[in-house]
Amino acid sequence: MERHNRIWRAALLALPLAVFVAFVVAPLLTSFYYSVTNWNGYSSNYAFVGLANFTRIASDRLFMQAAVNTAIWIVAAIALPTTLGLALALLLDSKVAGARIFKSIFYLPICLSAVIVGQIWIWIYQPDWGLLNAFLSHFSDRPFHYAWLAKPGSALWSVIVAWSWQQTGLSMVIYLAGLTSIPGDLLEVCEIEGATRWQRIRLVVLPLLAPATVVAVALSVINALKGFDILYIMTGGGPFNSSDTLAMHMYNESFKKYHMGYGSAISIVLFLIAISVIGLYFRELRKVDRIYG
Amino acid sequence: MERINRRTFLWGSLAAPAVGLAFPAFADSGELTISHYFTGDLGLKAFNEELEKFTKATGIAIKNSPIGHEDYKTDILVRAAGNSLPDVFSYWAGARVQFIVDSGSLHPIDDMWKQANLDSIVSKQVAASATSYNGHRYLLPFNYHYVGVFYNPKVFAAAGASTAPKTWDEFLAVCKLLKSKGVAPIAVGSKNRWPAQFWFDYLLLRTAGPVYRAKLMSGAAKYSDPEVAAAMALWKSLLDAGYFAENANAQDWTDAADKVTRGEAAMTLMGTWVTGYWNANGLSPGKDYDVFVLPPLKSGVPNVAVGPVDGLVMAANVKNVAGANKFLEFMITNEDVQSSWVSGQGALSANVKIDPSRFNSVMQKAAAAVAAADEFAFNYDLATPPPVAEVGLSMFAKFIDSPSDVQAILAQAAGEAETAFKK
Repeated sequence: MERHNRIWRAALLALPLAVFVAFVVAPLLTSFYYSVTNWNGYSSNYAFVGLANFTRIASDRLFMQAAVNTAIWIVAAIALPTTLGLALALLLDSKVAGARIFKSIFYLPICLSAVIVGQIWIWIYQPDWGLLNAFLSHFSDRPFHYAWLAKPGSALWSVIVAWSWQQTGLSMVIYLAGLTSIPGDLLEVCEIEGATRWQRIRLVVLPLLAPATVVAVALSVINALKGFDILYIMTGGGPFNSSDTLAMHMYNESFKKYHMGYGSAISIVLFLIAISVIGLYFRELRKVDRIYG
Repeated sequence: MERINRRTFLWGSLAAPAVGLAFPAFADSGELTISHYFTGDLGLKAFNEELEKFTKATGIAIKNSPIGHEDYKTDILVRAAGNSLPDVFSYWAGARVQFIVDSGSLHPIDDMWKQANLDSIVSKQVAASATSYNGHRYLLPFNYHYVGVFYNPKVFAAAGASTAPKTWDEFLAVCKLLKSKGVAPIAVGSKNRWPAQFWFDYLLLRTAGPVYRAKLMSGAAKYSDPEVAAAMALWKSLLDAGYFAENANAQDWTDAADKVTRGEAAMTLMGTWVTGYWNANGLSPGKDYDVFVLPPLKSGVPNVAVGPVDGLVMAANVKNVAGANKFLEFMITNEDVQSSWVSGQGALSANVKIDPSRFNSVMQKAAAAVAAADEFAFNYDLATPPPVAEVGLSMFAKFIDSPSDVQAILAQAAGEAETAFKK
């Protein structure tokens, strides 16, 4: 019977595993190969260059800028959607009228594709007739026409805000699920003992939400690392590479500047960063599992 | 009903696709695969109509995959790398075709050209500049465009500018007048960077001339040269005078065109495809929009007309050669296709048999401007190798955002262009 089950497991896993190898592992290995060449992406004429692409990274000003932008995005990913998601979950996890409707409304953005979210926010940020400038113009004696996505100082943050708007719903749902696992009698005891709402949240709810926090933060960070489509739609990494992230820089080097070998090297670096983050996530998850069972 | 056990279900679910895979998908031998960038505001409906005409005339079915104009630049090279190019695809004549010819991705069309006697059909000027690479013909010119100053005559008239300027001083006077009336003289929509290049092209051509420009495009001259600095200084003077509408980098070329339509701006330096966009929005040529040639700046400098040539090329791994040859010949020789295409798209025909009097007054002016020019040159990002074009386009966008940093921007571009030329 056990052998029978093993065969079933192997058979059912074979197809998804084959797809995973074909579309994830094989391209990854191919990236490793091209990262040590000077391939331009379409010609059959290229040479082996050793680690030259990797040493170039160290002196690439645009890579450093993209790395800083990626770090900013990761920090914002930890701070913004997780904090807002937690606040929304705490607010909606009560018997307030219409809570269910609000949960659906706040969750809706995550159901939209990044392309749609990006386009919506492009319209919101439009300098001449966008919603944001129309709102801000009310506080100004002359029309406010700031080009949020076309100015180096604001482009990246404008994209991060749009992305966070979408991600917040996901964090909210994770925390709502986490809140259902908190024993009700614990919260009753707090009430009986005279704890304030804030004390209840700080001393009981937040610590017990640690597993949910690990999941919410990890998902936000991983999604931030993957953040390409919304950035491509909204700014393309511009203006003047000011909103480039490592993923966008890799794309620009590979497909706009025809340095596929160098782009592959950047992708390897990005892969190593992502692996570290995922490793950290699993380590924290195991730690939290040990504490909270 | 007999119960289906797990084993039967599993084998059954694997068998169905396996049976499907046993019958390989044979490509229809009469079918032709095509990809192009005539999408959205650039003539998707019109191009689809021309494809239908071809199928009706020849019986050859077309498998069509249009791709967005900006994404196309990347997509076609990725497909070339994967050896999965369509039989025929559109491409921009100039450095981009040279790039893919050098990679061995194209099939020469010398035989088709001779058989169809295209020497007597294609404009000699266009044929000479756009079709031959490395000694062979690779590109069939489908249409070409002229980059001129498209303006709103009503805005001009309201400001008191009765005629289009013919000299540089007149041009500056008109800009000053428009600005004094609260209208932005010039709109640029450089969100995707490329619309800004036309200003660099004309200012450089009008001051340093086509011979120097050709050297700059090929890497024989540098971006740190005084000629480039002079052109940029001239451009800066227009920006400093406030003649450009604000937030150019936040607007697309259609946004800039809309500004001109709404009277918020008076003119935009753009290709004739803008007329296709305006016509589709119900504007009347001559009444709602018109065109003039950007005036000369220095006497003795040749008058050069700038514009792209849209062409059709054949992939090296073309599966249906006969069909592809028929398609290329049909698209340039069929007068109905050429007339309706150029009218719908706002383009100029490379077929000399198409009578320009068929077209609206604005397009006739554009055709006359090209005919009167001493030379026809491809615009910047088609005249220089793509990796260098990336450097230049970024330089123009940066400059528009911060004209006071022109020296630093030029210095950076000079270094990056030199590196890009070496690779």
